[in-house]
Amino acid sequence: MAETYNPIPWRLHEDLDKYAVEKNVPVWIGGKKVIADRVVKTCCPHNCYDTCGERVYIKDEKVIKIEGEPTHPITKGHLCLKGFANVPKINSPERVKYPMLRVGERGEGKFKRISWNEAMDWMVDKIHELQEKYGRESIVEYAYSGNREHLAKAVAARLWNLMGASKLVGSFCLLSGVAGSVGTVGSQYTMDPHIWAEHADTIFLVGRNCSATNPHIFPFLYKAKERGAKLVVSDPYATGVAAKADLHLRPRPGTDGAMALGMIHWILKNNLEDKKFIEEKTVGIEELRELVEEWTPEYTEEVTTIPKEQIIKAAELFATTNTMFEIGYGQQRYSNGHQVQQALACLAAVCGSFGKESANYDGISGMAFPGVTGFAHNAAVAVPEGAEIPPARMVNIAAIAKAIHEAKEPPIKGVISYRGGLISQQPNVDYTIEAVKSLDMFVTIEQFMTDDTDYADLVLPACHYLEQYGVHPSYWHNYHQILVPVAQPPYECVPDIEIFCELGRRLGYEEYFPKDKTGLDYARDLVGDECDFDAIVSPNGPARHSEEWCPAVPYQTFDTPSGKFEFHSSVLEERGKKFPGHYDPLPRYYEPDESIAATPELAKKYPLNIISQHPSFRTHSQYYNLPWIQEIEGPAKVFMSKEDAQSRGIADGDKVRIFNDRGELENITAKVGIRLKQGVVEMSSGMWVKLGGSVNKLTKLIPAGPRDILAEDGILSDYNVLLDGNTGSYFNTLVEIEKM
Amino acid sequence: MDYRNQRTLYIDPKRCMGCRACETVCKLENDLPRGPRFTMVTEIETGEGLDEKLSFLPIPCQHCGDAPCVKACPTGALYKREDGIVLIEKSRCIGCHECLWACPFGVPQFGNDGRMQKCTMCYNRIDEGDQPACAKNCPAEAIICDTVENVSRIIRERYSKSANTMSGFMEEGK
Repeated sequence: MAETYNPIPWRLHEDLDKYAVEKNVPVWIGGKKVIADRVVKTCCPHNCYDTCGERVYIKDEKVIKIEGEPTHPITKGHLCLKGFANVPKINSPERVKYPMLRVGERGEGKFKRISWNEAMDWMVDKIHELQEKYGRESIVEYAYSGNREHLAKAVAARLWNLMGASKLVGSFCLLSGVAGSVGTVGSQYTMDPHIWAEHADTIFLVGRNCSATNPHIFPFLYKAKERGAKLVVSDPYATGVAAKADLHLRPRPGTDGAMALGMIHWILKNNLEDKKFIEEKTVGIEELRELVEEWTPEYTEEVTTIPKEQIIKAAELFATTNTMFEIGYGQQRYSNGHQVQQALACLAAVCGSFGKESANYDGISGMAFPGVTGFAHNAAVAVPEGAEIPPARMVNIAAIAKAIHEAKEPPIKGVISYRGGLISQQPNVDYTIEAVKSLDMFVTIEQFMTDDTDYADLVLPACHYLEQYGVHPSYWHNYHQILVPVAQPPYECVPDIEIFCELGRRLGYEEYFPKDKTGLDYARDLVGDECDFDAIVSPNGPARHSEEWCPAVPYQTFDTPSGKFEFHSSVLEERGKKFPGHYDPLPRYYEPDESIAATPELAKKYPLNIISQHPSFRTHSQYYNLPWIQEIEGPAKVFMSKEDAQSRGIADGDKVRIFNDRGELENITAKVGIRLKQGVVEMSSGMWVKLGGSVNKLTKLIPAGPRDILAEDGILSDYNVLLDGNTGSYFNTLVEIEKM
Repeated sequence: MDYRNQRTLYIDPKRCMGCRACETVCKLENDLPRGPRFTMVTEIETGEGLDEKLSFLPIPCQHCGDAPCVKACPTGALYKREDGIVLIEKSRCIGCHECLWACPFGVPQFGNDGRMQKCTMCYNRIDEGDQPACAKNCPAEAIICDTVENVSRIIRERYSKSANTMSGFMEEGK
């Protein structure tokens, strides 16, 4: 008998035709013309640089086709391979269709169907039970970047604030880099790529696998190259963009900071620095000069393994030509990530690469952080006016498994998870699973049955991003489009914010979650009235952020305490007086926590440094289960050098076992070739644990600095998102590989 | 026919960077399930030591000037249009795989119905003055669909004005 799906009485029903750019639009599908009911503009909110403009075709409330939005000035009507895979994803028969309650053991994946009413009752009872037994702070959300837009997290935070639940803070992606950058530069901006494409002489890309994570940068890179600009790439892995580079620097993983110090040494030694910029716009050069004294080209080569001729060549190029620094995030996913980023910012400053159309510094735009710049008024949604908000402790997401294991007074007993893969994405899978098993309530709001849902008590049917509202400014370019629901949710799926609003109403906070308030109303509150909101809602948009928030050519000034670029970071120094950790005012280099140099004894047992790219096939763990994607990607692979393969008797295509003391992976296909240098191997991140390919079986829970959150068990009473850092140090992982 | 007017899908290997968006935009355009793939990106590693090089090349149907598949097809299901696009009249295909034996690129695909299917260069879009889905979407702007003569003019213009052949600088340092 066919399954039936019940209407959800508390859901707001909106007519979505109002967002139509056009109605009754003919469109090709499989060589046949189909008339779509409407076409709607939205944007992709995945955790990616590009935040593409999208044009979505709907027929009978089903998404039938997606195209790039041709009027978007940066993404220009182009999408990545995942963009198109949203059509089979949103229409997949394997979607979670209704609420389900666990009937088997945790991890067995056995559930029974229940109604939304029963699911809500179950959550309300469980929340009350935990609050009475352990206290209000025994409950915390788990949410990250599956759908990276900010609105649902702000609405959820409204509920957590009212409940006095623990607050989830931080990131395990890039905040160490941000700390190093903010410490020297102040507020973070990016310059639109069409500007540097016209003006830069050299482009320096660090830790950024653009063909997988930032494909829309390529027309700009090519434009610059056709004008004669040089492209220099730093990456241990031979990426698609490294294949286009004029010079590919291949540091030993985790040593990009040493590379930068070596370049600064050479530039200062040879009087190549931008003296005017340093004199007028920076402080602390003498301390930096002293610090880099030891970083001769020979010593830098010894630490980084980059031939000294290449270090010198790149340093001279950066110092003597207008160089655009396009810094990614790979280089800071080590325990020393904050220091690496600080060193790279100092290199840019020594070269005078700030505040010019031809030479500037891009890390991450401040627009990535809700509530940090003028843009997202997070508190306007998260903190309901007139309500009494009890103070609550904070839990750092980069150490959440440790917090669940160790927190007392109260322990963490309830986790409500959405938009994140806790088990597949946190380091050290086995440790995370043990943590999850100790919970009394684990609720997951998911589109598919993932690693997490198998361990959940309650699984709720989530909406695809095309079925809900969202606010997602790009962290690379400066053009914005509000996400609107393009189609009605199928089955019994409910948009995330509506789940939190209804749960809030049932927990007794009716006045703060009015029934007639739409996602668009919340989005309007979040964005505030300093911009023309309607200009970025379909059928309008995208539009550029204001000059006030995102200057066209940023870094004319620095909003550090000195008002200048700080080689000696006063804010990091100050912060370090208050908290445990490694707040160094200078970009001193130290080894990653686990490496052949830092842990030589361990390296005898596990001599290979495994790193993980974010492949084009996935955004983290998403899309891995789709047939189109599986077909293109093929089986789980580990890339290794010919030397490492030969010495282990491994041939290209062999099945291998990868292991260390934390875990092992079996039946991984060896890809032997030129992608990596001896001593380094690569395996893509984001493959699912239950499908056998999760590299996080091997990685270690050791969040990068500067703040040592493990010393505090990940539980914080004071946290500065821009200075305290904490990136998952996924890449300082040593393993051994053997043929199976 | 005059091959200068033959329509072709030209892929600029200097621009292709292996993002594989062409593979899924093609799947969507042609409404394909798991199985048939009308284009596939090949990753090629060449050279040793300092000459090591990584390149990417999508391989859709080449719509060959003198198409071996058309010659090999025993039922006349495969044919070449006036503008050079190689197409199949599916109702005449008997699923014999002769075309797969003949094709030097491994292009012919066979779905659940056992009959041959492949890249059509999105002739239906071309006939409306539009571009094939892969060419229109390519984020690296690496795919050009036009006549052989026009493609060669476009490439000539692109690189005669270019200060950099997009490789070759600092070769000794690589």
